[in-house]
Amino acid sequence: MNNVTFIRRFALLPLLAALALGAGCAHDRTRYGDAKGVETLTNEFGSTDLQMIAESMTRSMLQAPVIVSGNLPIVTVQDVKNRTSEYIDTRAITDSIRAELQKGGKVRFAVDAAAMNQQVEELKRQQSEYYAKEHAAEKGQMVGAQYRMDGNITSIVKQVKNAKDVYYKFNLQLWNVRNGLLEWSDEKEIRKTTTRG
Amino acid sequence: MKNAWTFVALLAAALAAGCATQKGFETPGLAFGCPVGDAKVSSMEDLVKLKVVMEGTRTTVVPTEMRCTKSSDLLKIDANLNNDSRSVKRISYKVRWIDREGMRAWEEEAWKPLLLYDNSNLTINAVAPTNKAADFRIILRSQE
Repeated sequence: MNNVTFIRRFALLPLLAALALGAGCAHDRTRYGDAKGVETLTNEFGSTDLQMIAESMTRSMLQAPVIVSGNLPIVTVQDVKNRTSEYIDTRAITDSIRAELQKGGKVRFAVDAAAMNQQVEELKRQQSEYYAKEHAAEKGQMVGAQYRMDGNITSIVKQVKNAKDVYYKFNLQLWNVRNGLLEWSDEKEIRKTTTRG
Repeated sequence: MKNAWTFVALLAAALAAGCATQKGFETPGLAFGCPVGDAKVSSMEDLVKLKVVMEGTRTTVVPTEMRCTKSSDLLKIDANLNNDSRSVKRISYKVRWIDREGMRAWEEEAWKPLLLYDNSNLTINAVAPTNKAADFRIILRSQE
């Protein structure tokens, strides 16, 4: 190896060392944030949208005549259809609505279709020979819902070179199971615009 | 003569009654329907000062009017927000619900973003999540 090649090779060493150190220093930093804070990281459906929708729907439903009557109506939650172009866990929205209504103590919830299998399995398990008959839950004692809650979420997305506009509309309805009448309905609109530069 | 004195007395009584109850303060402990407890509130400005709290980055958007009512045993608030600047303002708000003992009546609400156009007003309305909520504070912060 001549001197020139040696110098060329080893001149790169400090540069490579600096790069390696730099990469080592750029470590990830994790911090806790405000779960109720306004989140504007992207304009896709986010936590702020979910919280705003759940709060708006719950407060509106609390003023519905069937809830105000004070008879503790029994409601079952059905699917909220996602008619947007993105993936949205609509169950998370209805779960939040249900939790807030239940906490308010003005509504009772009957087991919904999604949880029915688990409910039946538990009933069957308690009816098995392993359980004392006097303490086991009996079959045929479940209470049917008087009202069912369903809805949908739609979106309109418009995009040009440097801007993207997303409009969401969430609609929720409360139907009377017995007579099929719509007892309450409300909607929440959200607009988010992202501009580049 | 006796009739004249009676007329004067009735007029004085009517005037006194008119002065005793200023509009918005008819019920003790309430100002424009909003619970104020023992706080000295004699105008809308006093009420707004009592009920609005700025947290985080302060905003120039200010509530100018507020009214409360009870809707099926739940406290309901209408607050008018004013942006008197020449630019669009982005703020967020939440309502803190307080029970009769001064404790939190409900968990902390999520911040709700709002856009106010230049030189414009926007009315926000809120309904208490529970009938335990006897008082409230509107919390504002800038999102600029």
